[in-house]
Amino acid sequence: MRARNRMITLVFLGLLCLALVSTAAWALDLGNLLKVGGIALLVNQFGDQIDRFITGALGQRGAAAIGATKVVPILSLGQRGYVGAAQVVGTPDNVKRVKAVVQIEGRIGSFRPRVLVPTYVDRAQGAPERAKGVGVSAVIEFRI
Amino acid sequence: MTRRVKTPAIIAVALLAALVAAAAFSAASITWRAGERGGQPVGEVLVGSTVVIDLLTAQGPYSPEERAAIVADRLQAAMATAPTAESVEVRAIAGGEGIYIGSQLMVTVSDPEAEAHGTTRSALTGFWRDNLVAALSLPQAPPAEAPSSQPAETAAPAEPTPAAQPASTGEVDWTGAAQKWVPIFSLESEGAYIGAAQIAGPSAQVEKVKGVAELRLNFENLGRIYAYIPTASISVTKLDRVQGVSVWATGDLRLVGF
Repeated sequence: MRARNRMITLVFLGLLCLALVSTAAWALDLGNLLKVGGIALLVNQFGDQIDRFITGALGQRGAAAIGATKVVPILSLGQRGYVGAAQVVGTPDNVKRVKAVVQIEGRIGSFRPRVLVPTYVDRAQGAPERAKGVGVSAVIEFRI
Repeated sequence: MTRRVKTPAIIAVALLAALVAAAAFSAASITWRAGERGGQPVGEVLVGSTVVIDLLTAQGPYSPEERAAIVADRLQAAMATAPTAESVEVRAIAGGEGIYIGSQLMVTVSDPEAEAHGTTRSALTGFWRDNLVAALSLPQAPPAEAPSSQPAETAAPAEPTPAAQPASTGEVDWTGAAQKWVPIFSLESEGAYIGAAQIAGPSAQVEKVKGVAELRLNFENLGRIYAYIPTASISVTKLDRVQGVSVWATGDLRLVGF
């Protein structure tokens, strides 16, 4: 079962890479950089309020994630670029460590693969790493 | 001959007494403890080592810690009445909602308490009630209900409650983490999509997930808003969220265009 899951994941990642290669290239100019930086700053500043807003909005349908949640900046890369706020869910310790989410998305015809990577910076190694036990619940993002 | 019979009998009785004592000790030891969260006091009610209720706000003259002590006392008293899962009820009361066991109020859930937890009052009430039922291992009263459904609430059924969870989210055991692929149904402004999503979380919670509902609003040149909701049932009318489970990857195809 585990081998099967791994195989599906590998096939999925392969398709995603293919989709990324086939998508149109885009680049960040200074204006976009300011936009990304500004939104990331705002999300860090008002993360708690955004978190409460998302939980409240989903709570109306009984669909809110309860417990350890946090809002962090998200950067989506693919056919188009987006930056915004993502609510992450997981264990309190791991959620606290998450600094950002990177989303990689592609498109092959009408097939749309996406991978969400909550990341934190390992101070010992000084490099970003995928946060284990944390995933994404909701996203609000703006086009770059 | 009499001695031969007596000795094993005494040993058997002693063993039985030890087993009963062990069972009594292990079954639902209800305690409370004071803690701190974000610099604020918190009163936690525990069943065994599991936090089932965490109180963040004061109520009248009682601090969160004092409230936790009162709730633990009430729960201990209620357990003596051999309650069933159905006897744990949510009722509307002045100042919010109350979780009852039989006719006895266990804990009050107010709007400020829900706000402190970052959720709605109904969601928090349902969450705590499910925690209590799961942690106290309360039996179902006959006739049995469908196993995946929530216990019937005789009062305040206004909103659906979150999925049952064995412990509060802060106590979810991720050591048995699992992941699997489940169907995802995405409803967007451009159409409906169907595909697969990789979810991850505690093994017991992942087992419950039947699919993921994605709600997405795209604003062409502005941005987009979307939410992933791992659900325990394939239902369009009720999103029965499974707590502690999150989405790592998705892949979908357009089913219908709007």
